[in-house]
Amino acid sequence: MRRILLIVILLLPGMALAHASEQGFVLLLPTDVYITAGVASVALTVILLAMMPARLAQGVFHPVSLWRRAPMPLHHVTSTLAAVLLAGLIWLGLSGPRDPLANLLPLVVWTVWWIALVVLQGVIGNHWRWTNPWTGPAALLTRLTGLRALFRYPRRLGFLPGIVIFLAFAVLLLADPAPADPARLALFAGGYWYATMFGILLFGPRWLLRGEALTILMRSYARVSLLGRRGRQFAIGLPGWKIMARPHVPMGLAVFILILLGTGSFDGLNETFWWFSVLGINPLEFPGRSAVITQTILGLLAANAALITAYGVSIWLGLRIARADLDLGPAFRLFAPSILPIALGYHLAHYLTSLMVDSQYALKAATDPLARGDDLLGLGQFYVTTGFFNTQATVRAIWLTQAGAVVIGHVIAILLAHALALHAFGSTRRATLSQAPLALFMVAYTFFGLWLLASPRGL
Amino acid sequence: MTKSTSRRAALKTIAAGVGAASLPMWARYTNAATSEPIKIGFQVHRTGIGAAYGRWYGRTTEAAVKLINEGGGINGRMVEIVAEDDGTDPKRGAEVVEKFANQHGCDVGFGTLFSHVVIGSSPRAGELKLPYFVVSEGHHVASGMLNRYTLQPGITDVKSQVQAMAPYVAENLGKKVTMVFPDFAFGHDHRDFFTAAIEAQGGEVLEHIAIPPTETSFTKYFPKIPRETEVLYHVMVGPAVLTFVKELGEFFGPSRPEMFGFIDSLEAVDISSPGLEFLEGTYFWEGNPRNAQADQSEHDKFYRAAVGVDDNGASISDPTDVSTYAHMFGCWETLHVIKAGMEAAGYEGPGDRAKLIEAVEAMSDMPESQAHPQGAKVFNGKTHQVFGHQYISRVEGGKLVKVHTTSIEDTLYPDEVDYTTQSF
Repeated sequence: MRRILLIVILLLPGMALAHASEQGFVLLLPTDVYITAGVASVALTVILLAMMPARLAQGVFHPVSLWRRAPMPLHHVTSTLAAVLLAGLIWLGLSGPRDPLANLLPLVVWTVWWIALVVLQGVIGNHWRWTNPWTGPAALLTRLTGLRALFRYPRRLGFLPGIVIFLAFAVLLLADPAPADPARLALFAGGYWYATMFGILLFGPRWLLRGEALTILMRSYARVSLLGRRGRQFAIGLPGWKIMARPHVPMGLAVFILILLGTGSFDGLNETFWWFSVLGINPLEFPGRSAVITQTILGLLAANAALITAYGVSIWLGLRIARADLDLGPAFRLFAPSILPIALGYHLAHYLTSLMVDSQYALKAATDPLARGDDLLGLGQFYVTTGFFNTQATVRAIWLTQAGAVVIGHVIAILLAHALALHAFGSTRRATLSQAPLALFMVAYTFFGLWLLASPRGL
Repeated sequence: MTKSTSRRAALKTIAAGVGAASLPMWARYTNAATSEPIKIGFQVHRTGIGAAYGRWYGRTTEAAVKLINEGGGINGRMVEIVAEDDGTDPKRGAEVVEKFANQHGCDVGFGTLFSHVVIGSSPRAGELKLPYFVVSEGHHVASGMLNRYTLQPGITDVKSQVQAMAPYVAENLGKKVTMVFPDFAFGHDHRDFFTAAIEAQGGEVLEHIAIPPTETSFTKYFPKIPRETEVLYHVMVGPAVLTFVKELGEFFGPSRPEMFGFIDSLEAVDISSPGLEFLEGTYFWEGNPRNAQADQSEHDKFYRAAVGVDDNGASISDPTDVSTYAHMFGCWETLHVIKAGMEAAGYEGPGDRAKLIEAVEAMSDMPESQAHPQGAKVFNGKTHQVFGHQYISRVEGGKLVKVHTTSIEDTLYPDEVDYTTQSF
């Protein structure tokens, strides 16, 4: 019956008022020139690396020590505060305004956390140690009850629970009809917090490292951030220096990292006219998320499978060409972290425009959390604007910022992969040969990423 | 004794009066029977393809409710908006309507714009007997496909808009028309309604050029425009609109035919944007003139200020943030119709929903006023659709200058349904 209704709706005359502004200006930009330039700079990086002395290529990842680390013991306190804040937000989600752009829960989860805090984690450093809502309450629980983990975490599970939970999170983000609905999100967020606490109760903090997808994601991105610990020192270095310091990752984490990129890429792809034409849907009268749930889930899984396969094949080919005596598995685990800067670049590029608009709504909701007309922050009459999507100059600046994030992500990834190859194979020649297919893959991926930004979209 | 009683009574009354005077404005109007707010469920496109419109529909709604509440609310009760995001998704839309009726205890539902969401939600509103006031512009209300609980009293429908353009186009721009439109329902409405209307004016459509919705370059379609075309009628929508205009300019150069379009193509886009110079001297339908006109009414002035829109139709806080001015007045006017309807029906609660619908059905003339800043309207209680003046503007110096106001008669067409014959 529902299907029939949907077909009837699709056949009926109606109107669609898809909006012209931002994307209209993007289509007028010489994006083909920009894309060529972006792809060329990534390709040039590959060529330069082939000629660069090994010591220099590895040297760029040497960090600079800043100062001696002072002990910062407050992380349990701040984590507990984060949990209290989350509880407050969940209460707001259940009883505050119903409008997702007036309720702080969806705005904090999807804008402040998922966009801003994830990017900060990847660019600056590991704040999740202080901002996660679990370690503090877990420590408190242990102290109060003296309870220890009931079971040992089964080693053979590895990162599998984390991968499964991350894919479930991606399904909520991309396929669920209303991930920003305050009450719905309150149930998801509250339920997940509780389930994770239960996981910690069962398996101890190891659950956070193996099963809690958001912590795995945050810790992964922290590997490419500028700041970090180096022995007893605080240090800063080119993104990736922490990966060079500890290169190999477990297989499950390597797959997880690839899924981060695959999911991020599909998140852009599923909005393009191209994807709509694959689904046979007119993007100008998109029937809504609820009409494409299955297609989105299948697309998400297919995109990730395709990426993992393409990446694995590139590495395998490289090993063959360089006649390396490294097996595919260890090589995969060695090179996978070099994908992280790309995934982070995509994350920033994809969400930049949402961040610009929804952060204003977040501010507005923060000043009036119960939608009673309060003005706690003293903003006065505050109107959300999207005027920056309406002029050519601002749209160009936004687009180039997005493209810059994608290109820089790829350049760093190629540098990093090359340095890792030098570390594994010794000579520049063998490293370059082993990296040739992967470099080609990354150049192609740069093109894909920039094409995504330049493509007309239906959402 | 009697005296003292009456004195006590008098003192009481005075005390009550003093008390009332010290209460905030709204409380003075509070109905003794009930002080619960009137809850209006606002089905808003916060996410999905309608989000850009949703933002301005939200802002207009907020301003209208503020005004209504400052004026004492409805029947002495404050109005509370319960906004729910429908994701511009018909299935979700029906769920939202259900929440309004069953979960939030809303008195009415209101505000839906996109046709497919209206069409997906309206049956549920009918089942739940929730009066459902849409602001959609679609012809689906007047066509008879919906139900007695669905009304469109605050914005005219596309059929009347399109047909009202034909007399002006035929008389002033030309009788030989070529239509360029996107090849789906929205474009087909324009094709069908305008072709019939221009023929009724003694004109003809030389060529219908249907463009696939995913097209992003248009040069290959332009050679199909017949040489003898006097007027090019265009209603492109979507991200490629600016490209369409640019390529059209490159194709015609300085010697173009007259051009007539619907502002839907460029709603919320600054007409003086680079690349749109080619539109100078062309004509547009506007539901409500975006630029403040020389003969601007006091009501438009008041409405603009209340919503926070400047004389160019942009936000007062950011001159580049152009509003969806041609459509969003519909929210303002619909809320005022709900208020008038509830007051006429003596509405007290959900038990009076049928009375409310009958009260709105009984409406006909709606004079231009603060409640109807877009202009006077006539409501057709049988078809549940309002009819009103349409505006034609010419682009002059990057501004939309009104050159014609249609009569309401130009917009009328024979009834296609009589909802009043349906039972509640």
